Amino acid sequence: MSDYILQVKNLHKVFTSKKISVKAVTDVSFNIVQGETIGIVGESGCGKTTLGRCIVRGIPATSGSVLYTAEDGETYDFLNIDRNKLKELRKDIQMIFQDPYSSLDPRMSVLDIIKEPLEANFPDMSKDEMEYKAIEIAAKVGLNTSYLKRYPHAFSGGQRQRIGIARALVTHPRLIVCDEPVSALDVSIQAQVINLLKDLQKDMGLTYIFISHDLSVVEHISDRVGVMYLGKMVEFAETEALFSKPMHPYTEALLSSVPVADPTVKMDRIPLKGEIPNPANPPSGCYFHERCSYFLDKCKEVSPEYCEIRQGREVACHRAEELDLRGFSYDE
Amino acid sequence: MDGKETIISVKNLKINIALDEGTLTAVRGVSFSIDKGETLGLVGESGCGKSLTCKAILGINDKKCSTEGEIFFDTDAEGEVDLLKLPPKGEQIRDVRGKQISMIFQEPMVCFSPMYTIGNQINESTRLHITKDKKKAKAISLDMMKKVGIANAEKRYDQYPHEFSGGMLQRALIAMALVCKPKLLIADEPTTALDVTIQAQILELIKELQKDLQMSVLFVTHDLGTVAKMCDRVAVMYLGKIIETGSVEQIYHDPKHPYTKGLLGSVHKIGTKKQERLFSIEGTVPLAMNLPSGCSFYDRCKDRIEGVCNVKEPEVLAIESNHTVSCHAVSRTIKGGSSIE
Repeated sequence: MSDYILQVKNLHKVFTSKKISVKAVTDVSFNIVQGETIGIVGESGCGKTTLGRCIVRGIPATSGSVLYTAEDGETYDFLNIDRNKLKELRKDIQMIFQDPYSSLDPRMSVLDIIKEPLEANFPDMSKDEMEYKAIEIAAKVGLNTSYLKRYPHAFSGGQRQRIGIARALVTHPRLIVCDEPVSALDVSIQAQVINLLKDLQKDMGLTYIFISHDLSVVEHISDRVGVMYLGKMVEFAETEALFSKPMHPYTEALLSSVPVADPTVKMDRIPLKGEIPNPANPPSGCYFHERCSYFLDKCKEVSPEYCEIRQGREVACHRAEELDLRGFSYDE
Repeated sequence: MDGKETIISVKNLKINIALDEGTLTAVRGVSFSIDKGETLGLVGESGCGKSLTCKAILGINDKKCSTEGEIFFDTDAEGEVDLLKLPPKGEQIRDVRGKQISMIFQEPMVCFSPMYTIGNQINESTRLHITKDKKKAKAISLDMMKKVGIANAEKRYDQYPHEFSGGMLQRALIAMALVCKPKLLIADEPTTALDVTIQAQILELIKELQKDLQMSVLFVTHDLGTVAKMCDRVAVMYLGKIIETGSVEQIYHDPKHPYTKGLLGSVHKIGTKKQERLFSIEGTVPLAMNLPSGCSFYDRCKDRIEGVCNVKEPEVLAIESNHTVSCHAVSRTIKGGSSIE
């Protein structure tokens, strides 16, 4: 039996059209232990969402494998199982989407929306039981159960996100891919939803993949964090280690750009040259070398290998060992 | 004010929106002023009336909105003028709009017309307000594009919006807003749609240009991080009212209003010890229609006093110089404060 609930191995996703092909996700590998939260951060267009969708098999990956260890201890390659097995395992891996306004069908009542995954995954379940389960989960995520016959438009953004969470939870999944679950919400509502996700994790033993561009949210919720740049994972480490002592220059620059909500903390930004390159035409060598302030000639030609430098720290940088990079200081 | 030159002062601004369901009071008596060279942050959650307030200053709100109150602006031509009294399509307000007060919007991607080149659109403002001479205007616009950090400005001048990235478009938008060297820049969530690294660049750019041009900035956002970095003073809005104002230090280190406290508490600060749970404000922002009497934050407030807070609306209370709060609970605990209207 595997120690991990999910192992992503050498996942690639290439989008091709007639003229160009874009490598959205290139050779991403990581493992997740049951009950932990993995944060995936990166700027727009870095392939975070594509990665999440490939994992839940929302879109087919080009190559690679996602090894899922089911409750019975068997490990399956989620990307290569047959239809019947997929149907059986789908209920274990669910997704929460970014935009609570467009991810709910406006013509279905909230109860029907929450019930739908049950209808798809448990065709033998009785109607009453489905309704019972849907109401139960709605109460759990803090929805007023007397409003479940209403339609999504009658709910606020935060409430809608709760509906999205209830829908993901109703099949009792073990792993949830949360794709920017709080980005569309107001600050005070964000805190509510994050607290809810944490409570549910404790209650139901959930494992999360938490995709977000908001570094402070990721830092708060994650046990380990992966940083993506242009489709590649450039660094992966435990949250505090990554935020206090980044080992990839991109992580350092990203951290230094975060505005901290405290006027006494002065922003000492490490300037990034230029902009994110076009993923259809990525630079040679290390994808980041054009914007890096530490690059050597070697970086222009040879792409650095993504490897474990120290226990639990994976980095893709030629100079990872020698550089002393700046992060946040964690003082008690 | 303290011998400083006040650029704009908004007094008791009220905005009503006529809807089919009834009248929605979106802004309910907002007052603030901005000094020369100062940055005021207007913070609040969606729907609290931040954007409407900004647009009211320029007189570009929808026809459905009716605006009351006074907005005194120190115009070039005639000194202090109440902008709300000017005819919305008249010459006077058009001389202010885009020239003396300009605005940067939230989504640079939708602010440009896709049919015209970037240069053409920046030039529109130059030619309207500065010079009719095409060559001179182009030179001024190009100069501004270089100033905001658009590389290859000559080439970029003839490109269309779709050829620009989000960050570059925001730079172009800033160039367009600043080409006439306005006295007041209204930045309505200028970096919300951008990535962190780009956001940091844009914020620094706005700060630099502000120093260069001696501008005042009204910085509107819901992101408390950027406010801490950008502003001198902060005004916190809730449901169409300013509930607390103060310097950034006062607001961030010594917040008084329960809502401000909650807002600050619900943001996790990187580099601090991990709290298990974030502080969160209960409930959601109520709809600004048929508001109950008393304090509008009553339902969600932790410090509410029954029989007081739900009966009477709190008055503005000055705690220290420049630090004002509207809250019954605060005014009970602080005896030294004096009530001002």
